[in-house]
Amino acid sequence: MRLKDVFQVQTVSGQPVTVDSVTVTPQSQALIVRLPIGGFVWNRPTAILVERNEAAKRFPIVDITRILQLLLLGFSLVLTIVSLVKFSQRKERRP
Amino acid sequence: MIDPRNNLIALTDKNSEQLRTVLERIFAAAQPGAVYSEPVVSGNYTVITASEVASGGGFGSGVGFGPATPPAKKQPDEEVSQAEQANSGGGGIGGGGGSVGRPVAIIIIGPDGVTVKPVFDLTKIALAGITAWTAMLAVFRRARKASKG
Repeated sequence: MRLKDVFQVQTVSGQPVTVDSVTVTPQSQALIVRLPIGGFVWNRPTAILVERNEAAKRFPIVDITRILQLLLLGFSLVLTIVSLVKFSQRKERRP
Repeated sequence: MIDPRNNLIALTDKNSEQLRTVLERIFAAAQPGAVYSEPVVSGNYTVITASEVASGGGFGSGVGFGPATPPAKKQPDEEVSQAEQANSGGGGIGGGGGSVGRPVAIIIIGPDGVTVKPVFDLTKIALAGITAWTAMLAVFRRARKASKG
């Protein structure tokens, strides 16, 4: 089994929604893991494509909750590492 | 005569096929339709919810053959032929799975254009914060204990 068959990343456009003169096409990105005894799918919205009067504009969808979560965890991790390094340095300096 | 071994294998194969169908349904979460809701119209506004979806599952099966009863426990009047002993067996199949979803943004199509409003999940942030700070405190305590000892 090749790695390419197990892990797949797909970017797909959904069914367009037309309201008056505005057409909205949703786009999503999916990570698919296919194993012989199971599988896993993680699908998240990435952007919407808005078409109005023959002009198209892409609106990215930002997952603010995920960004804040990662920032918080990253900040805690950095703070822990820095504090531990300083702590060990101070310990070494002590007679 | 019905062959129990073949019957068991056929039944296991059938169940495996059914589980594969279930797995295909799990993979259906990769479609954009699983992420974007159907448009809801209210007055001049059309609202679409964009959610993050994750689903997974797994299954396994097993078949075993052997004598139906141990020879010592056999009743005197009970006669088990060699063929019957060889054909005795059992099989099992099991699986599990689950899926989670979380709203990420709300798309509003109105008279003043299209707006994308992000969904802020305070509970998730608070839980992440509590987990991170608890882990940090535990590391600091261990470091302090190690320096004292």
